[in-house]
Amino acid sequence: MNRKILFPVIILTLINFTNQAQDIKKGDVFIQNAHVLTITDGVKENTDVWVRNGIIHKIGSQLRVPNDIVVIDARGKFLMPGIIDAHSHVALEAINEASSPITAEVKMGDVIDPFDIGIYRALAGGTTISHAMHGSANAIGGQNITLKHRYGTFNPDDLVMKEAPRTIKFALGENPTRVHGRGKNLQPRSRMGVEAVIRNGFEEAIQYKQTWEAWNKAKNQKNNRQVPPTFSSRLETLLDILEGEIIIHCHSYRADEIYMLIQVCKDYGVDKIVFSHVNEGFKVAPELANNTMGASVFSDWWAYKFEVYYSTAYNAAILTKNGVITSINSDSAELIRHLYHEAAKTQRYGGLSDEEALALITINPARQLGIDQWVGSIEEGKQGDLVLFDKHPLSIYAIPEMTWVDGIKYFDRKEDKTDQRLKVDPEETLEPMFLHADHVNCMSNVDFFFTGFGRNLFEHNH
Amino acid sequence: MNFKDLLNPSTVSWLFLLILVSQPLFSQSDRNGERRLGSSYVITNTTLIPSPGEILQSQHVLFEDGIIRAFGKDLLIPADAQEIKGDSLFVYGGFIDMANKTGVVEPTIPEKPDNFDPSNPMPEIAGIHPHFNVTDYYQQTNPHDKEWRKLGFTLAQKLPLGKGMLPGTSALLIYGQEGKNNLITENQSIYFKFSTAGGVYPNTNLGVMATWRDLIQNARLYQQHQEMYAADRNIRRLEKNPVLEALIPVIKGQTPVLLEISGELDIQRALKMQDENYFRIILTGINEGDHLIPLLKEKQIGAVLTLNLPEDPSTEVPDGEKSKDFESRIQRAKEAYQKSLALAGKYEAAGIPFALTTKHLPRGDFFKNLQLMIENGLSKEGALAALTVNPAKLLGISDRTGTISEGKMANLLIMTDTLFSENANIHMVVSDGYLFDYSEKPEKLSEEETTWDYEAETEDGKSSGTWKIKQKEGKWTGTITFEDPQGQGMKTTAIENVIITTENMQFSFTVSVKNNTMEVEVSGNLSGEKFSGDMKIVGYGNFPVKAVKRDKPEKSNE
Repeated sequence: MNRKILFPVIILTLINFTNQAQDIKKGDVFIQNAHVLTITDGVKENTDVWVRNGIIHKIGSQLRVPNDIVVIDARGKFLMPGIIDAHSHVALEAINEASSPITAEVKMGDVIDPFDIGIYRALAGGTTISHAMHGSANAIGGQNITLKHRYGTFNPDDLVMKEAPRTIKFALGENPTRVHGRGKNLQPRSRMGVEAVIRNGFEEAIQYKQTWEAWNKAKNQKNNRQVPPTFSSRLETLLDILEGEIIIHCHSYRADEIYMLIQVCKDYGVDKIVFSHVNEGFKVAPELANNTMGASVFSDWWAYKFEVYYSTAYNAAILTKNGVITSINSDSAELIRHLYHEAAKTQRYGGLSDEEALALITINPARQLGIDQWVGSIEEGKQGDLVLFDKHPLSIYAIPEMTWVDGIKYFDRKEDKTDQRLKVDPEETLEPMFLHADHVNCMSNVDFFFTGFGRNLFEHNH
Repeated sequence: MNFKDLLNPSTVSWLFLLILVSQPLFSQSDRNGERRLGSSYVITNTTLIPSPGEILQSQHVLFEDGIIRAFGKDLLIPADAQEIKGDSLFVYGGFIDMANKTGVVEPTIPEKPDNFDPSNPMPEIAGIHPHFNVTDYYQQTNPHDKEWRKLGFTLAQKLPLGKGMLPGTSALLIYGQEGKNNLITENQSIYFKFSTAGGVYPNTNLGVMATWRDLIQNARLYQQHQEMYAADRNIRRLEKNPVLEALIPVIKGQTPVLLEISGELDIQRALKMQDENYFRIILTGINEGDHLIPLLKEKQIGAVLTLNLPEDPSTEVPDGEKSKDFESRIQRAKEAYQKSLALAGKYEAAGIPFALTTKHLPRGDFFKNLQLMIENGLSKEGALAALTVNPAKLLGISDRTGTISEGKMANLLIMTDTLFSENANIHMVVSDGYLFDYSEKPEKLSEEETTWDYEAETEDGKSSGTWKIKQKEGKWTGTITFEDPQGQGMKTTAIENVIITTENMQFSFTVSVKNNTMEVEVSGNLSGEKFSGDMKIVGYGNFPVKAVKRDKPEKSNE
């Protein structure tokens, strides 16, 4: 085949690939002379980072790179790993399947919204990965999904971080007792009820397993009298938790309820658990350090309901100093844009070092999501998720300038357009502009259960 | 009553009445109607378009007993055939509508019991009733289907109504002679929507997807149990489950799932469902997502596009100060609008034999929207195909209708000019071999404004006001006055979607209450100066409304 024929063939093949949109885009980039905040290996001054085919290929100086690679002059700038948010609801069409105390069968992967402008805004704040979670209405909520912020795709599956292990949302305390107990007169009505719902769920899953084992054994035997059991993806999922295939991410505030779930998990041999919010975590820090995959907290958010009054901005620092894998999360489409500010607060409240503070939004959330072997630090062989700041990211004056995911640049402050929406509704109302949009949060999609009584009480977010 | 009495003619008629009255209210469609016995017609010397893109001049078309017997230049015409002079007329195949719900009423759902547990509702309360059959809820005497027939529709796929994800099975009905049983096929597809009954499990698309997965697995197990029990009565009997039973033809690949979508993310979800558990799939309501066309083609997914196109965003530019980026934003909205108009053309270019649905489409927009699709890339042949051969194929009735050929049903559209040309009028529609003549010009309706005094009975008692309606350049417009629900006296607002025929009148309007808006639809029958019908407040219920036309139109004070 001569070259003249080959060329159109290549073009055709390329078009074919882009049409099917199945392949995740991966890029090459060479970032030169940056202060490289590796997180796991200190700060490397005047260092180059070479990303090849989406993976950090080499870190060093005087690297010989191909002539055609995109070179970013980062002299005087700060390169850190892409920020990871361990608790988010960005890029979801629905958040709560609030209609049952256990909804382990539902999957956030079914409702990914690649058009959410929140993804782009998160990228503008250096956040490259978010843990898109089910809400906190149920004792056992749905299965979460870990997203890479590959903004620009129209295919929801392109956002999914395929390597990430399965995770599931649990919720303790006031949210599940209010939705199901007060709202619908179902269990759980109290913290004791929450524990009972979880334990009963696990027990039912064990019975379910036995039923299916008995059937699978009997079905091919001669003169079998057993009939097929009922399939339940809810109980299948609970079984997968018991078998260690799913990491629990549990919405919680009070020390007693945190300790309760640690005990329940011990009873069932479950050790993959991360607590989220954890405002009273400082009271049970050693227990969290010894028995869990850590705690994901707010820097300084509290007092939006009764169970969140006993709180401190020193929480993240106390947990860190006690050896708890600690992260700071956003749980908000707004906070996700400046998690580096949230991390910096731990230096004012608790005096964490730069490395400790940055670990709260990089390698630690990566560990909690089970993805630390791929992301969370700048190391050769890890994925090319990077963010370049003009100043040190823990400075209040720092501004993210560029953000890469898999070596592809998804945000560049210099190329930022006024209108970054991917999709426009032809029938949208053009005026007026709304400066304040409804924020999605832990309690989205549960409003209908509260019409008629004390609604104002519930207009908090988490 | 003794035997002799039974022979008494008056007793017989009483008995007959009794039988009529004792029919359950919802079984409006008579499934045992008789086919009519032969009546033959011939359309002579006409221009025939037997299938899209094919034009034959000076043709005679003979149809008899609802069947096209023959067509051609030389035909042996039976003596008793009634002649329709076809000179200067154009004969097309009758239109087929997919995913249509006119004339269908909502099923009665059981009351929620005391101590109702919303986390574990019975399937019917959760909107999961694939075993409901739309023919049980279809009112053949509804006024809408006749109006659609006037626009050329001869056959429709009727959808069951219901708030949840599995409302029931669809059926094919012919828009034929009233009083006949016009059912062609029932249990034709399982209808699926990404929607929920509200307040119970499943409540969001999260729960819908999970419920579907469980239903499919359990239908398989149910089928397995069924087979085991059929072979061996010595095992526990199969507890009847109508929901799972209805899904068995789906898992066997016999019955397709008609999947209603309202955006491209729904298409992605539907494809995911199919990847996980294979079943035959037809997507209806497609309104966007042209980049998915190659994928749908590759997977051979049936596609039904909506005719209900968005409003042109540039026609409703608000007054007042504009923000800085207003121009660029309206530009993007216009591009999105253009894209939706061009979608049908793109499906055609990709070679997908798509159909169209009139669901949610105001009748007055039917030809207008087809025209918009044609102006934006769809060929006229493609438009005709999307209304005839393509839906026939998707519905599995190509052997019976979709083109004009010998042996197919006599479903014809007779036009005064070529279809989609500006001056074309519908002269006649033949449906199931019955003739519906629209050749007479409708009475020229007065351009004067008419005023109606109405009285509606709502839950809060009687409410009254006036309607003012006038016709301008062939379009009806008007206003309604009503008592402000917030107690601020009388309010006036514009009415929309006005359709007035000699027998019916309908329109809709919106009422704002605080930050909410309520959609109100009024429809009913006209007889002389009187109107009687229903006012439907969407989401609240139906209320009777009566109105009387004033003798003289009120002079406007403005």
